[in-house]
Amino acid sequence: MTAIPVLHTKRLELRAPEAVDYPDFKATFSSYRARFMGGPLNAYEAWMLYAAEIGHWQIRGFGMWMVHLRDTGDTVGMAGGWFPAKWPEREIAWIIWPDRAGKGFALEATSRVRHHFYQDKGWETAVSYIDPKNLDSIRLAERLGAQKDHDAATVDGSDACYRHPAPSALKDSQIAHGIEMEIQNYINPLFKPKGWALD
Amino acid sequence: MTLTNAPRLTSDRLCLRGPEMRDFDAFAEFHADPLRAPGFGPVYRRDEAWRWFACNIGHWHIHGYGYFIIADQQSDAAIGLSGIWNPEGWPEPELGWVVFAGHEGQGIAFEAASRARQWAYGDLGFATLTSNIYGSNTRSIALARRLGAVYERTYDNVYMGEDQLWRHPEPGALT
Repeated sequence: MTAIPVLHTKRLELRAPEAVDYPDFKATFSSYRARFMGGPLNAYEAWMLYAAEIGHWQIRGFGMWMVHLRDTGDTVGMAGGWFPAKWPEREIAWIIWPDRAGKGFALEATSRVRHHFYQDKGWETAVSYIDPKNLDSIRLAERLGAQKDHDAATVDGSDACYRHPAPSALKDSQIAHGIEMEIQNYINPLFKPKGWALD
Repeated sequence: MTLTNAPRLTSDRLCLRGPEMRDFDAFAEFHADPLRAPGFGPVYRRDEAWRWFACNIGHWHIHGYGYFIIADQQSDAAIGLSGIWNPEGWPEPELGWVVFAGHEGQGIAFEAASRARQWAYGDLGFATLTSNIYGSNTRSIALARRLGAVYERTYDNVYMGEDQLWRHPEPGALT
């Protein structure tokens, strides 16, 4: 069976998805937050997707990590690689639980998994398939240096393909330094929109 | 490469073992077959079958049980599925079975389901088991009867819709 590595960042620990983490996953995937990822899902659909996330690791040898806070162990979301049947290319994907959004966790986790795929797994490119209405995820893809690839195949024609910078473009480059600085110096924004996020 | 920690069980003619990717083509073909798939779920495209295949592997990791591949003891080729199925929303852990095209009518489902039931009772310690069967699936209902199961109720399955629940004899009644 595939042994799932543990990855670390300044604030986060990325571990294999376990049965004990399922309620956190279900809470988000049965909510409006999952509207750009095929949701909201009912309990059966959420469970089957979680089981598929675990099976994906075994079939592909990579998959989606559960993202934990290093200090409390709480889960805040998932990030990793996703390549089920029908996907044109290997995808880097992420989701942050709605009550954990806005703290820079997605950037920190996704940057780490991309580094792992490029440095440890030998990937030479990666994409993210994003709903064109999912502006928060498009913004994150752009912060990661990804650009819309108009010529690449998409999953079903209703999504946009964002292509990540090649490994060489992330070595000692301005974009790499910018991402690193943003992660290392992340602070809560001084001015935040009032009220609740839509989800 | 092994994808699960499923044990390898044997019966007279068969082997029940964990799913491997070499079994996927036979499974996808079964799930695309409009004659055979509907007792198990909707007719699936290949990518939908892949998701279910991944779900079954995750099911083994989450529960420690799931669907075995029924394999021919000589060739080790996949000829069906049988095992214990219990995703969220299921009424109870279910003993399920499927036999692929070309292998029906030889008592394979009976032999495999009996062995899987014996494993669930003897090794996993289950005290009861059910099977969820469409009322129109007369062949599976006949097999449930042969296995000693009795009709209990009709209910609304989260995935299959209106469905029948059949209850198997308790472990003590089988020895």
